[in-house]
Amino acid sequence: MLKIDRRLLQNFDWVLLGIVVIIGAMCIANLYSAVYSAQSYGTPVYIKQLYYFIMGFFIILAVISFDYRFLVEMNYTLYAGVILLLIFSLFMGQAHADTQRWIDLGFFRLQPSEPAKLMLVITLASYYYRKDTGKGFTLKELIVPIILTGIPFLLILKQPDLGTALMLSFVFVSMTLFVKLRLTTLATLMTLAASLIGLSWNFLLKPYQKRRIETFLNPDADVLNSGYHITQSKIAVGSGGPFGKGYLHGTQGQLDFLPERHTDFAFSIWAEEWGFVGSLFFFAVYFSLIFWGLNIAASSRDKFGTLLCVGVVSLIFWQAFINIAMVMGILPVVGMPLPLFSYGGSSLITTMAGIGILLNVRMRRYQAPI
Amino acid sequence: MSRRLLDQINTPDEEELTVLKKRVELTIIIMVTFIAILVVRLWYLQINQSDLYHEKALNNRVRKLQIIAPRGNILDRYNRIIISNRPLFNVLWIRDDAEDPDLVLKQMSHILKEDMSDILGRIRSEGNHPNYVPIRLKEDVTWETVAFIENHSLELPGIRIEAVPSRKYNYGNLGSHIIGYLAQITKKELKKQKSADYSGADQIGKMGLEKIYEKELRGEKGERIFEVNVHGLEQQQLKLVEPLPGHDIQLSIDIDMQRKAEEMMQGRSGAVIAMDVNTGELLTLSSSPQLKLEQFISGISQKNWDNMLNDPLTPLLDKTIQGQYPPASTYKIVTALAGLMEGVITPSTNIPCYGSFKLHGRRYGCWKKWGHGKHVNLKKAMAESCDVYFYHIGQEVGVDKLAIYARSLGLGEKTGIILENEKSGLVPTKKWKHRVKKEGWQQGETVSVSIGQGFNLATPLQICLMTVALANNGKLYRPQLLKAIKDQDGTTIQTFLPEQTGTAFGSPKEFSLIRAGLYAAVNAPHGTGIKAKLKDIKVAGKTGTAQVVHLERYKDVEIEDIPRKYRDHAWFTCYAPADKPEIVVTVLVEHGGHGGSAAGPVAKAVLEEYFKKKKTKK
Repeated sequence: MLKIDRRLLQNFDWVLLGIVVIIGAMCIANLYSAVYSAQSYGTPVYIKQLYYFIMGFFIILAVISFDYRFLVEMNYTLYAGVILLLIFSLFMGQAHADTQRWIDLGFFRLQPSEPAKLMLVITLASYYYRKDTGKGFTLKELIVPIILTGIPFLLILKQPDLGTALMLSFVFVSMTLFVKLRLTTLATLMTLAASLIGLSWNFLLKPYQKRRIETFLNPDADVLNSGYHITQSKIAVGSGGPFGKGYLHGTQGQLDFLPERHTDFAFSIWAEEWGFVGSLFFFAVYFSLIFWGLNIAASSRDKFGTLLCVGVVSLIFWQAFINIAMVMGILPVVGMPLPLFSYGGSSLITTMAGIGILLNVRMRRYQAPI
Repeated sequence: MSRRLLDQINTPDEEELTVLKKRVELTIIIMVTFIAILVVRLWYLQINQSDLYHEKALNNRVRKLQIIAPRGNILDRYNRIIISNRPLFNVLWIRDDAEDPDLVLKQMSHILKEDMSDILGRIRSEGNHPNYVPIRLKEDVTWETVAFIENHSLELPGIRIEAVPSRKYNYGNLGSHIIGYLAQITKKELKKQKSADYSGADQIGKMGLEKIYEKELRGEKGERIFEVNVHGLEQQQLKLVEPLPGHDIQLSIDIDMQRKAEEMMQGRSGAVIAMDVNTGELLTLSSSPQLKLEQFISGISQKNWDNMLNDPLTPLLDKTIQGQYPPASTYKIVTALAGLMEGVITPSTNIPCYGSFKLHGRRYGCWKKWGHGKHVNLKKAMAESCDVYFYHIGQEVGVDKLAIYARSLGLGEKTGIILENEKSGLVPTKKWKHRVKKEGWQQGETVSVSIGQGFNLATPLQICLMTVALANNGKLYRPQLLKAIKDQDGTTIQTFLPEQTGTAFGSPKEFSLIRAGLYAAVNAPHGTGIKAKLKDIKVAGKTGTAQVVHLERYKDVEIEDIPRKYRDHAWFTCYAPADKPEIVVTVLVEHGGHGGSAAGPVAKAVLEEYFKKKKTKK
């Protein structure tokens, strides 16, 4: 299997890789601008991010080196491994801004909640692939995937990382809807979800998380505390105007007004400096990745490949949508990176692994069964 | 890998894959919808609302601080600085510059030793401003507080110290009514001004010369524009416009005379005025009691204000131009002039005074119960202030003729001083009574008017001006408070020349006859004004005792036994030197009792001050 098949190289998807490289270049350039005026010691974030990208390409190589179909067999091992990491980080992780999200690996601080997203995609794809009856799932058949999603969901919520936990449920909903549900199941699930949201508001959310949501609903009430991020980000995006303020000339970012500007708010820097035109260009490139991914899903030679690709694409898409919507003030502030664009090793490497899965499915679409 | 699973993977179900392809298409549609939401929002922010956010971004980083110009000084006629400036330190707070404003305010509450609720209350009272506009947290903080805040500026983002020039009263409350005070501009006043010149927390002259010469004193504000980062730390200065200091105004007031006058009036209420006979320049213009100017610096408290309103000595009333009193015997100058001019009397006309004057069966008493004797001529009548003599003149001349001479001497009309709210006094005529009282004139009323009682009202400044006209043979001048306006280097920008506003009816002959009477009043053995007599300077003057009420029960009672509010007002108006008049001093002591004894010594002290200076100069 490790023998390199010439057909595999012929079918390698250079388009997808090209899109990823373009997004990567925009990311590095944007990070350079984000920290341009800030004094910092040690390696600048754009250099670090470049290392992560290089690391990510090696991950892609590793992921495409085996047939994706082995993931069906591997998935519970992966699942158990990631859950253990999550538990480990919960008890041993480094506290960062009052949250326990990190595991220090020495050269790299891993945020296990990031691989957990991809792990869930693989797990659900495997499960639905095995169980699909073609007639739609009943509620009883959904108990297992709900539990499979629920365990990492609760562990991550406990960290607390509302954004990632939310992402897991988005992946679950997207993939479950994709494999088709029975109507009664759908209705029951929606009722359940509604009551779950109510419960989590009362018992699970930490005060700062509640406040963020409350602020979002009424941002003017508390401009300087929770509303600050939203207000500043909207000012950055809006003041960009049609053509932007020019690269390295965004005042909001350069003068420190934007918090977290290299991570979750990276897009506001871009929008401020490149304006409406530049942002549309960004959308065009970025969402072509999504649609190309869906194209791969549709062209897969088997259902597992399709499910995997849909899962990976929905994972990237929902993160991107929520992040950009949040930056532009139409969704509350939750910790949610813009995949491939926000600074952060864990997110980037996870996303690159996801890209690797897409490439993997693509290059093996004509391959004979094992 | 189990056999079954591999079989499953290796046998793709084409039909099922077609279904999945359809679902992928559906997924694309859903995602496009969501992307459309993002594009619409992006368009809204960057195209539709772009101007709004552009402005917000500018205000986010650019801070503008106004630099208030040092206000001009107020100098006395010898360039002594009466009012100057001292720096007053205010604590400013810019909301936008703090990430955690509550924490900063908590710290400030500790530093300023004020309750959080007070601070929040002040912020609220500032009204709705954008968050980048500085709010004054506290005014006039101590040096120690300023030093502490400056040293801890890094821990207090958004807190700034503003140094504002504030008034320093080098002579205390001296001349408080002329100088006036500054206070925070009101919303109404703000609307009247050009917005560039004033802002909400600015001080503006509210009274007196501070108000009238606001434009000259104020100067022009400067401003400092600089860029800040999110921590409110200055990144770079973008623009600096130095303020233009205000002009100094030089008063005609001699601060020594003014001080002497106010010392003499300590504990009493009334007015002291000294005017240059030949120019109309005011050397003293003092209303007692003084206003406590320091109380106005950072806004007068309700309690202090109420105290002033309820004070029986009415400190808020400027008695020199707003107090209207019966001119009493000082009015005899008018009556005498009318008598001489109308030919009713000559200098040698004798009118006997047996203590009263009879008209239509009614007795009008002279102040001296047993009369001034058989031979009372003009000089004696003036010197001893014989009422009966002037009753006769008044009766002969008539009220309307008296009014003409009164007006020609400046009574019944505003003097035209620049100070605000001057009252015009009252010179009654038959017409006036008919119009206002809807009654005919009673002949007996002329009797009262001829000795300055009855309907007659005059302000101390009018009496002063009348005395000036008498002393300079009939010239009426506009009372002048200012000598010059100077810029910061002392260069004169504007000077104020004497301005004659009228001429009294009468020739030097009549005036000198009346002046002889005034001279006798101070210098003759029975003169009413002998208390104003100076050692080596000849003084001439006229006393007056204005009845407040006419009550039989207080008729022969000692003044100390009469309740203050029923006591007579005491007048004394004089000039010196008698043979070549230079200066007029007019004194009114409210409820002071007899003019000669209450007001005379005050006038004397002020004259002494004036001539002392002249002597040392020689």
